[in-house]
Amino acid sequence: MKIVLVRQISQCFFFLMFGWFCVVSTLGDKFWQLRAWPVNWFLQLDPLAALATILTTHTLYGPLLWALATVILTIVFGRFFCGWVCPFGSIHHFVGYLANRKSPTSQNLRLNKYRKAQSIKYFVLVFFLAMAAFPSIAATLQTGLLDPIPLVTRSFNLLLLPILDRPLTLVSVTDRFYEGAWLIFAVFATAVLLNLVIPRFFCRFICPLGALLAILGRFAIWQIGKTQPRCSDCGLCQTHCQGACEPAAAIRSSECLLCFNCRQDCPDQLIAYQTTPSLAGRITDPDISRRGFVLSLLTGIFATPALRLANKLGPNYQPTLIRPPGALPEEQFLKRCIKCGQCIRVCPTNVIQPAGIDKGLECLWTPALNNRIGSSACQLNCVACGQVCPTAAIRPITLAEKLGNGPFTTAGPIKLGTAFIDQNRCLPWAMDKPCIVCQENCPLSPKAIYTREYFSTIRDAVFTVKKATQTTLQAAKANFSLDKFATGDYYCAVDGSSPKKIIANTQDSIEISHDQRFREIPAAGSKMEIQIRLQRPFIDIEKCIGCGICEHECPVSGRKAVAVSAEGETRSAESRLLLQS
Amino acid sequence: MTEQKDKPFDRRRLLTRTGKAAFSIAAASAVSYLAYDDKPPLPGSAAQKLVTLPDFSLPHLPGQTISIVEGPNRTKTVNKAIELLGGIKRFVQPGETVVIKPNIAFASSPILGATTHPQLVAEIVRLCLKTARAKRVYVIDNPINDPASGFMLSGISKAATAAGAKIVLPNNHLFRHTTLTGGRLIKNWPVFFAPLEKAHKLIGVAPVKDHHRSGASMTMKNWYGLLGGRRNIFHQDINTIIAELAMMVRPTLVILDGTEVMMTNGPTGGSLSDLRRADTLIASCDQVAADSFGSSFLNLNVSDLPYLAKAQKAGAGTTDYQSLKPKFAAVD
Amino acid sequence: MGSINRRTKPLESAISVLLLAILLFIGLAVFAKQFKYDMSRFGIEQAPAHYPSHRPQVVPNHELDLTSLNPENFQPLSKTEVYGHHNLYEKINGKASLYLDSGFTKLLTRRFISKDDENLWAELFVYDMAAPRNAFSVYTVQRRVDAVPLGIADPNYAYRTANALYFVNARYYIELVGSAESQPLLAAMVKISDNLRKRLPVNNLTDIADSTLFPPENIVPGSIKLYLTNAFGFQDLTDTFTAKYKLPNETVTAFISRQPDSLKAATVAQSYYNFLIENGGTTKQASNEALHGRIIDFYDTTEIIVPAGPFVAGIHEAQNQNSAEDLALTLLNRLNEAAKAKTDDRAKRQTVR
Repeated sequence: MKIVLVRQISQCFFFLMFGWFCVVSTLGDKFWQLRAWPVNWFLQLDPLAALATILTTHTLYGPLLWALATVILTIVFGRFFCGWVCPFGSIHHFVGYLANRKSPTSQNLRLNKYRKAQSIKYFVLVFFLAMAAFPSIAATLQTGLLDPIPLVTRSFNLLLLPILDRPLTLVSVTDRFYEGAWLIFAVFATAVLLNLVIPRFFCRFICPLGALLAILGRFAIWQIGKTQPRCSDCGLCQTHCQGACEPAAAIRSSECLLCFNCRQDCPDQLIAYQTTPSLAGRITDPDISRRGFVLSLLTGIFATPALRLANKLGPNYQPTLIRPPGALPEEQFLKRCIKCGQCIRVCPTNVIQPAGIDKGLECLWTPALNNRIGSSACQLNCVACGQVCPTAAIRPITLAEKLGNGPFTTAGPIKLGTAFIDQNRCLPWAMDKPCIVCQENCPLSPKAIYTREYFSTIRDAVFTVKKATQTTLQAAKANFSLDKFATGDYYCAVDGSSPKKIIANTQDSIEISHDQRFREIPAAGSKMEIQIRLQRPFIDIEKCIGCGICEHECPVSGRKAVAVSAEGETRSAESRLLLQS
Repeated sequence: MTEQKDKPFDRRRLLTRTGKAAFSIAAASAVSYLAYDDKPPLPGSAAQKLVTLPDFSLPHLPGQTISIVEGPNRTKTVNKAIELLGGIKRFVQPGETVVIKPNIAFASSPILGATTHPQLVAEIVRLCLKTARAKRVYVIDNPINDPASGFMLSGISKAATAAGAKIVLPNNHLFRHTTLTGGRLIKNWPVFFAPLEKAHKLIGVAPVKDHHRSGASMTMKNWYGLLGGRRNIFHQDINTIIAELAMMVRPTLVILDGTEVMMTNGPTGGSLSDLRRADTLIASCDQVAADSFGSSFLNLNVSDLPYLAKAQKAGAGTTDYQSLKPKFAAVD
Repeated sequence: MGSINRRTKPLESAISVLLLAILLFIGLAVFAKQFKYDMSRFGIEQAPAHYPSHRPQVVPNHELDLTSLNPENFQPLSKTEVYGHHNLYEKINGKASLYLDSGFTKLLTRRFISKDDENLWAELFVYDMAAPRNAFSVYTVQRRVDAVPLGIADPNYAYRTANALYFVNARYYIELVGSAESQPLLAAMVKISDNLRKRLPVNNLTDIADSTLFPPENIVPGSIKLYLTNAFGFQDLTDTFTAKYKLPNETVTAFISRQPDSLKAATVAQSYYNFLIENGGTTKQASNEALHGRIIDFYDTTEIIVPAGPFVAGIHEAQNQNSAEDLALTLLNRLNEAAKAKTDDRAKRQTVR
């Protein structure tokens, strides 16, 4: 069996496994749902995620230890991960193959020759690591923007899956929506389409993970090389070269993706994977110019403080940025989040969204709650987001901790923020309409939304009593539409006495509830007011946990009359609202 | 299509080209003609084909309209209650398709009583399938919280599936627009119609819950879960909408579960202390009568719930359940 | 891929097979892993398809010990059972809501049976109500009509009926219910209660001291009740003690409700007054100046509501207005004296300082 075939099988295998993990990231216990599928495995194997979090936090979060396996194997064998495992790499490989499968050899040779610009990926790596490595100034983890594993995870889960699943409803019954998915689409589509220009464009020129693996693989024990110093120089070995590493000449082994196509293509069988260096010579070191290195390092060092000048971690924090339950304080959060979108994917209500540029460049594609978009807001009995977070940017909390039960009673529940009622938009407050959908849907016991009864005299509804009995009042100069006031919400107050419920009305008279009949029949000429009974909602700020269900359900559908903002969120001292808690 | 330069221009080629041009013009004109519309679009959204919910009710048998059974065990009380009305075979014929509508409004645990108890749903499914030999049983609801989570956390998904029913989760394509004749609020409004369209029987199963806006949520309020769209706006006139729901939905049977009653903090509850045990279950062909009796669990009178009188006035049932001569029983 | 046809070397084939074996292993490992799931990790409480009824747990050692309480001629019939919030209903059904609303934390039960006669057995219920006030409330609210003083303890805190003993001790409310009306059984139950009492904390009565503010003349012994909330169906009447008084032609109920301060007391008194008016009551002329505007005719019974310092006090459902007013004044004087004594006390202490 040929090794190239095994490589193709391996690529298909890992690609399908990756795709399967995306499909099963739905919360549930059927075999095609989350169960205990290791859906984070590819993210955990990613040494860039591991290294970058070590730089920002000085610790290696347990599950990321898997990356060590990738590191060790790369040190021994070279960049097998790129050529054999990486699902994003396999997409590029396949698209590049489709684009050039009928091209003449001459064109293929031109496309697959080494280019100086391939060193850009090292500068990308240095830039991101510099942003992550200097905590004395400010550290932020931005590798996720271009790290291929989070990138492809995010693109599959938040872009391809919802589009493909919409007509099928196999993965999710209710349609899934992701704000700002256009930008994820733009990046993904650009990366894929660039293969039409040059195959494996992303891998060769941009991929910071590839750059890291190239550096790690420079001492690889086995490497591709020629078994003779001279050959017929036909150059055919470079026809299908994936890494553009020039095996025909002195091979640039740091660019080699171990695709083994050269070995397959050599008509004289002069290329082998061996411990002896290529007899045509080899260049093991990545092509990183000193100037480029220094420039990207300096840019990286300055980039984070430049982002932080906006003081978004201080008093200028964004009140609309609501993080999932268990999220670390913002500064620590930004040191850990790799923008993979797993929390967003697993959220059963679709309330967690990839933040757009409006939340700040640093927060791009990090999880933020939008209570209007999904099937509900943050579900009380759910801590799935923290459980799937590969880097613990959202801590894996238990339900007891989230709700402040058991050992967490003194700490109290985790607040995501606080709901505020907009009295200028709320139906009972501003428009004399009964509602209290928010109160009804508050999931807490006792509820964080309570109501106060208020009888409001409706517009143009003060009349003079013409005639009255114990249960009816006839108004002078009235013209009611039939049973308009018979909904059970309308009351009538005579001369300022306590209002009595209206059960029916004709054009000019009303009938009040017989349980509340007048003891003394009102005299003609008394003032009668038609009132509506309102239950006006109030937020109990000590109880509200900011789950946003009130906001989701509020019938004022545009700018909601009750909305959560970040004040009072547990994770931040900056936004504290209460004196004690 | 590249033309050869060296070929001389001849009549035949001119004719061919003219023919192609004529065809292109004809095609463009035909498309214009077929798509031509001399009126601007009408305001509002495109007209939907309206549907009407089937009437699932059965002819009343005197003295076998409502039964009230006391006991702590829902499996036993529901069996007894249905038996008192003539047994499940009175309601479901062999080979029929039955839709069961529990209240799964919230994604909360069954012990909190905010949703219909899964044991009760499972037992009704079992009665329909095993005893009455129904062909299919669907369990449907359009929860307020996330649907998949609601069915899962309430335990209903698992219990009903284990008993042989099929769960139908709400999806936009299962909804159709309806207008209630004589209704004021339900006009051109989406309802969870697809599972009901081919069903023969409909059974509503609801717990008794405190409800701040309307006073109480029982079997009539339970039909709220058949509405789609932005149904929250109906809270502005809650009594009318509940009465209209009772007019729109004519069930075969309703089961009102007062085994554990949510006395406070409804309709979500959230704490065991919101519940009180009343150990009573009601089966009724008349939903208004069932809810009228049920109001007493919450220490309310019929007059405290204006939607009851409204529904009675609209002919959906009677608030005077005594007139139906309820059958009483108790089981341990 | 335009490759050149050539023979595959055995080593290449061997490596290929090895690599495929590794892939297979990874696939199987992933497949095996997904079986070991625990959805509660994600906050999903797994609801079982079938609901076994909760069984009471066996008592852990540090609980109140109910072993060896029995006299010589009796033996335990069951182990101690413990009930909490979630399964109290199973033990006592509909009565549970009263306990759950009054601070219930747990119930311990144990049964004892006579060695001589198997028809004679008793069950001990020990309700832990978290605070003496709660325990006193459930004790008084449930007091049986056929109660007779127990004779072994303060009649205000213990009584018996034909086949049962009831008492309250610190935060515990205790019932001992016998299977029959029998002298030996009653003796054994008294013995059990004596033994139990030795293990309970000292009766802390300061929590319920307000009950001593009722004037002792004409009071019906053992008639004091404590409603934690919702006395007479009015929500704001919290912490309300009631006591029955024997007046010339009738028995009436007097009440005292302690509020946080006198302002709040005045507010509650007014809102209760309004509540009665709204529900069909009418104002009634008082023959005594101090009660002016405090008397309501409520469907032909007299209701008196007066704020007195931090208390709301009054008379409930009296037939005879004059005797009711007299009782109200006595009660009022006593409350004012108590308030004054407290103020004097404080003033005295301040002078000393």
